[in-house]
Amino acid sequence: MGADADLKRLHPLEVKVLRSYGAEDRLTVARMQEELGFNEGQCNQALSWLSAKEYVQEEERRSRVYYELTDLGRDFARNGIPERRILHHVSEHGPTPMAELGAAVGLEKKDVGSAFGAMSKAGAVRMDDQKRVEVQEPDQADWVETVEALIARAAQNGSISHGELSEADARLIGGMSKKRGAQGVPFKVVEREDVTYRLTDAGLTAARSAAEAGLTGEEVGALTPAMLRDGSWRRVSFREYNIDTPPARVSIGRRNPYAEYVDWVKDKLVGLGFEEFDGPLVETEFWNSDALFMPQFHAARDIHDVYKVKEPTHAGEMAQPYLDQVAATHEDGWKTGSRGWRYGFDRDFTRRLILRSQGTVLSAKTLPEAKIPGKYFGIVRCFRPDDVDATHLSDFYQTEGIVLGEEVNLRTLLGFLRIFAEEVAGADEVKYVPGYFPFTEPSVEVHIKHPVLGWFELGGSGIFRPEVTEPLGVSVPVLAWGLGIDRMALMQLGLGDLRELFSNDLEKVRLRRRS
Amino acid sequence: MPKIEMYRSALDAYIGERYEREELEEKLVTAKAEVDEWEDEEGILKIELNDTNRPDLWSAAGLGRQLRVRRTGERPSYNFFSAPGKLADAGERRIVVDESVREIRPYVVGFAVSGKAIDEATLKDVIQSQEKLCWNYGQKREAVAMGIYRSELMRYPVRYRGADPDEASFVPLQMEEELSLRRILSEHPKGLEFGHIVADKPRMPLLTDDRGDVLSFPPIINSARIGAVEVGDSELFVEMTGGNLEILLLACSVVACDMADSGFTVHPVSVEYPFDTPYGRTVVTPFYFQEPIRVSPEGAGKLLGVEMEPDEVVRRIEQVGSYARMDGDEIEVQPAEYRNDFLHPVDVYEDVMIGRGMDSFEPAVPHDFTVGRLTAEEELARRVKLIMVGLGYQEMVFSYLGSRRDYIGRMRPEPVDRQEPIDPPSRGIVQIANPMSENYELVRNSILPHLLGAETVSANAAYPHRMFEVGKTACVDRSLNYGTRTDDTLGFLVADAEASFNTLRDHIAVLLYYLNLDHTLAANDDERFIRGRRADVLVGDRTVGLLGEVHPQVLVNWGIEVPCVAAELRLTALPV
Repeated sequence: MGADADLKRLHPLEVKVLRSYGAEDRLTVARMQEELGFNEGQCNQALSWLSAKEYVQEEERRSRVYYELTDLGRDFARNGIPERRILHHVSEHGPTPMAELGAAVGLEKKDVGSAFGAMSKAGAVRMDDQKRVEVQEPDQADWVETVEALIARAAQNGSISHGELSEADARLIGGMSKKRGAQGVPFKVVEREDVTYRLTDAGLTAARSAAEAGLTGEEVGALTPAMLRDGSWRRVSFREYNIDTPPARVSIGRRNPYAEYVDWVKDKLVGLGFEEFDGPLVETEFWNSDALFMPQFHAARDIHDVYKVKEPTHAGEMAQPYLDQVAATHEDGWKTGSRGWRYGFDRDFTRRLILRSQGTVLSAKTLPEAKIPGKYFGIVRCFRPDDVDATHLSDFYQTEGIVLGEEVNLRTLLGFLRIFAEEVAGADEVKYVPGYFPFTEPSVEVHIKHPVLGWFELGGSGIFRPEVTEPLGVSVPVLAWGLGIDRMALMQLGLGDLRELFSNDLEKVRLRRRS
Repeated sequence: MPKIEMYRSALDAYIGERYEREELEEKLVTAKAEVDEWEDEEGILKIELNDTNRPDLWSAAGLGRQLRVRRTGERPSYNFFSAPGKLADAGERRIVVDESVREIRPYVVGFAVSGKAIDEATLKDVIQSQEKLCWNYGQKREAVAMGIYRSELMRYPVRYRGADPDEASFVPLQMEEELSLRRILSEHPKGLEFGHIVADKPRMPLLTDDRGDVLSFPPIINSARIGAVEVGDSELFVEMTGGNLEILLLACSVVACDMADSGFTVHPVSVEYPFDTPYGRTVVTPFYFQEPIRVSPEGAGKLLGVEMEPDEVVRRIEQVGSYARMDGDEIEVQPAEYRNDFLHPVDVYEDVMIGRGMDSFEPAVPHDFTVGRLTAEEELARRVKLIMVGLGYQEMVFSYLGSRRDYIGRMRPEPVDRQEPIDPPSRGIVQIANPMSENYELVRNSILPHLLGAETVSANAAYPHRMFEVGKTACVDRSLNYGTRTDDTLGFLVADAEASFNTLRDHIAVLLYYLNLDHTLAANDDERFIRGRRADVLVGDRTVGLLGEVHPQVLVNWGIEVPCVAAELRLTALPV
């Protein structure tokens, strides 16, 4: 298992080194380059990884002199050395004036001068009587080919080791090299440490394991489109990845978990046959409270309980005949069988614009057009003048709905509450207690048992008072209910503060998830 | 919803039995009450009452009575009530009302008690029901203000009149010098709290005894002498003033029954009006004014979904404290003296439910078939959200309220501290007339300030930031009946060193492509964005949104150090 895991951490370059050498071998960059076909960078990388794993250890460290090409040297490698360029030009175009030669072969005047000087001294070229350079005996410049060979060798291998040169070549290259800041010469002298490594016992063990596992180091890193096209994938094996590396953090496009939860509840309710309703954020006192038979002097209608709109202050006309019927119901009960609240209904106050303070507004507004039987719901933003803290917000969602039909009574109401408790809250244990809402009679609260938090109130419900339904043209009983889904959302998200549901903090929102 | 405190021992005494916590909580359900905090070291219990139409439950005596009646099945009988045509003899105990209060605070009711020295628990309970009654039921003293007095210091008849606020004066409770009524309004804490109820009246209510000694300045404050009741006092006078006689009579009955239950003898008081009241010119209080209500046993059965014999319905009603009797096919219900919450037969049916107990109702499976459905707006919102998520955006959920600073100041391309203030409605923003805090004073007309607000606090999150919200925005629109309009709106923002107009242009194009809409862009001059890098989005001739690179000064106003591009689309305006 351990060995297997270690094997998976081996890069093919490492495998190849381990499998290519034995205990007696001494590993150097140069040797690996030659024998394994690695480039210098790959050699260094493999040795560094193997050292870190203690599969190889340093045997010897020696300083050596190398010659590397300078910019000028690379130019020579590409375009020829000056001697070759001059010989070539003069043989092609005949005798050429010294002054024109530099431009013709792309060299600076001093480089043309020194090349001409050396070749003329050897008798390969000469100056004619019109000061033009002409070929004399090209073979006399015997060093030209040697220099070309050295430059080509350096270009190919990146450098030439001093130790590999004959005495004559060493003297020759020495004349064309400088140490630091080499300018005007094709070679610079570099001193480098040559390190020799040998495989350790652990390395030899790893090599055996690799051999047993059939690893050759020839494994391929990536499957490429070309491999798919030419079928070469069939002949290779792929490097096995270390699947234990920790994943990187990814930030994705994503729903907000609170909104997602709200949608989930909506889908549940649609599944139970409820039709969604919605409405404006700015409401009137008429729909917010009057239509719900809350007397205009009711304690919950105080300036401290409802936000009022500064401008405009009042809506136009309220829909008829509902306004007259609601007003009459407040005053003397109208035809509902109620004695009413017995006060003068204020028809100016009823048009006052406010911010919706309870979702039940939309239940009331739905009544005049509701189907019978009918089931409706909404999850809507409501506003209350509260000091904002962990359990109070200025604006928050309320989940409300109604059921209209001849079959509505206290027992079907309890039936719906049980369905909500089971389907929406996932509760097994349900308890019903008498409640109080100004617009329902009877009123019932449903409590459910949470495995950790114990009993808590899931929602309130009741049967709308006839003083609510009849003035809005509904003669069948109407069940009204509300669910406190924010509390369940907090539990789902492992949060303890309502403000967190509306968090501005992107990092927190990105990390948040349902439990 | 009122919360009340009481000595647990006092509650036990009123119930006539000591319940342990769990049992008490179970019993409290029938009074729509719950334990808020269990007994502390001093033996005090806190209870929350949910029914705002049952002020009789807001004291240890009243709550204890409800539980006692249910436990023993016996209703208390009170012999001190008058009723229409049946006035008790009040003797010398009279309140004479002057014509001058008619337009300012016309009604007063009262009674006297004697027979025992008031103890701490009772005094605490009485003072508390005074507060709760006057605050929750009496509309913060507007409809009910109550005073308690040491009656041995006063001489009947009590006189109730409108006094000149600058001439009448007395030493109020909690003060040592004599103040005029007007000074009490501006200097006494209660004057500052409740003065608005009478401040605009030319004359102000004043209660004095026959000698002219002040009892109180209702609804503000008692006198420091006659109106200072202490533990040990045994002769007390109680009065209440207000503008609605029914409300006052009920409050008076509630407090009288409570004091009778605590062991006092209650003595009626006769109130003599110079003007007509719904109950005549002489009203002897406590007064039983409630009318009987007729209900049908079938109605109860239908609403509650059970079959009951009529005599069961009668029994259930009586278990909760009222008087009921069969009268033909109907039941006539007389509410208990301390209750007046039967507006409609359904209120009685609820008592039947409570009398029977919730456990007696088996939940029934509903059978009506209905089709469930989301609104078209919600369906569109979900399509949009899915595309935004596909584009790599994180959905956010923001508040719908904000401050002037965020919605107006920070959104303008000039430093916030160097701006001339702008009136929010003039910008079409819905403003709250009675805000709790300047942080929640405006309804948002754009999601952009919230997106920038989120960016402001999110510099620690790995970039790029892509955020969106689909939600409501509102604005002033005087062409509509409501004078305002609510829209479904999509707002989105990219914050990134590389953020550019083109990114959002591309995103809007792909979003509208999948919504099957052709659109064009037209340069606009929205100063929140950089000139030449801002545009309106049009579908046909209709402007449905905008986009742009947020102006650097706006970013500076928000304290944002990363370029932002933002866009907004009014989904309500899309012809889909």
